[in-house]
Amino acid sequence: MKQLLFITVLFLSAKSKGQELYAVTEPASNMAARSIGFRVDHLIMNEINSSKINYHLIPEIMVGVSKKLMIHGNVFFSNRRKQFSAEGGSLYGKYRFLSHDAVQKHFRMAVFGRISHNNSDIHQEEINVNGHNSGFEAGLVATQLLRKVALSSSLSILKAVDNGNDNKYPYGSENSKAVNYTFSFGKLILPQEYKDYRQTNINLMVELISQVNAGSGKYFMDVAPSVQMIFNSQSRIDIGYRYEINTTMLRTAPNGIFIRLEHNIFNAL
Amino acid sequence: MKKIFLLIVIAISVAADARTTKVSLQASGLTCSMCSNAVYKALKTLDFVQEVEADIKTYTFEIFFKKDADIDFDKIRKQVEDAGFSVTSFVATILFDNVQVSSSKPVQIEDKTFLFVNTNDGVLNGVKNVRILDKGFVSQKEYKKNGLPVLSPRSYHATI
Repeated sequence: MKQLLFITVLFLSAKSKGQELYAVTEPASNMAARSIGFRVDHLIMNEINSSKINYHLIPEIMVGVSKKLMIHGNVFFSNRRKQFSAEGGSLYGKYRFLSHDAVQKHFRMAVFGRISHNNSDIHQEEINVNGHNSGFEAGLVATQLLRKVALSSSLSILKAVDNGNDNKYPYGSENSKAVNYTFSFGKLILPQEYKDYRQTNINLMVELISQVNAGSGKYFMDVAPSVQMIFNSQSRIDIGYRYEINTTMLRTAPNGIFIRLEHNIFNAL
Repeated sequence: MKKIFLLIVIAISVAADARTTKVSLQASGLTCSMCSNAVYKALKTLDFVQEVEADIKTYTFEIFFKKDADIDFDKIRKQVEDAGFSVTSFVATILFDNVQVSSSKPVQIEDKTFLFVNTNDGVLNGVKNVRILDKGFVSQKEYKKNGLPVLSPRSYHATI
C-alpha cells in the first residue's frame, strides 16, 4: 500500500499532459459520433496454486452512435476449458449526460450498462460480467480532465445469473449481487509538446478496481498500472499488470498481464 | 442596354460585397491528440470545407472553404460537438468591401444575418475578424455572462 501511494505521488508530481483512455475502466467521455473502434484484449492471468496460465481473448467492436451514446459488443474466448474456445459475449452501452468543457479541461458524467452471457463454468466468488459471469451491470462514472491529469471514478452494481451450459451460479442468489467501485488516474508523459498527429503518445495509468459482494460482504481490491502508446492519433497499445492487493473472496487467477490493441476509424458511418 | 445591365449587377454586388474567407475555431474539453484528430477528421468531412489546418498545441483549427461554397457555421459547430467536444472561440475572417455596420441594424453577409454588438458604427473595408457570440460558439461561461437572446437560424450575434 505504501508503494502504491508512492507511485501515485510520483505520477501526480510529474510534469506532462493528461489522458483518460484507461486500460481497465472506461471514462465518462465517449468516442466521436459516427466512428468505429476495434479492440482486442488479451488477459494472461496466473492461476493460483497451479502453473496454469488462464488466457482470455476478447475482441470488441465499438460504435459512436451519437455524441452522447456509444455501444460496444464483444466476444469472450479462453483456454479455461481443455480447448481454446468461445464462451460468450456482452453488449455495453454508455450515455454521457453531463459535460462541462473549458480549454484543456472538462468534467463529464455518464451512465453505463452491460448485459452479458457466458457458457463457462463458474469457479470464483468474484462477479465479472466481462468474461466470466452471465449477468448485468449498471453504473455511473465521473471523469475530470485537468490539463495534465485525468481522474475518473465509477460506481456500479452487478447481478450474476446462472451461466449457460447448465453452469449454475453456485453461491446462492443472496450472494449474486455486488458493488464495483473504481478509481483511475492517467497522465500523458510524451510528447512534451504536440506538433503533429503522427507523434507517438505515451501515457501512464494507475487504476484501482474493487468489488464488495452485497450478500456476503466479501471484497477484493486490485491495482492495475499500465503503459499506453498511441500511434498516429488513431491506434493504441496498452500493456499493464493487474495485481491483487487484498481479497476475502475466492478468486481463481487475479494476477496477470493484460494487453489491449485498439484501432479507431473516424467518420466511418 | 447591356452596359446598363452590367452596371446594375456591379452596383448590387458592390453593395453586398463581403465574404467569409476563413474560420478559426478553438475546441475545448480535450488535451489528447486522438481527440484533436477526431475533431480534425470530422471538420474535413464537411462538403464546403477545402482544407483544415490544426494547431494541436492550442487546439485551434483553421478552416478554409471551397470557392463559392455555402458555408454553414452551425454545421461546423456540430462537427466539433459530435466529436465529443465544444467550441470555445469561433472567429470568421470576412473580407468587407464598403459594408455599412451598425449596432442597431442587422447586416446581411452572404446567406447569414449578423447582429453586431459592442462594435462601432461605420463602414467596413478589408479583412476583419468577426467573432460569433451565440450559444455553442463561445464557452458556456461566456455565453451565460453575455446573456444574448437566441436568434433564428443563420442569424448570429457578432463582434469585431
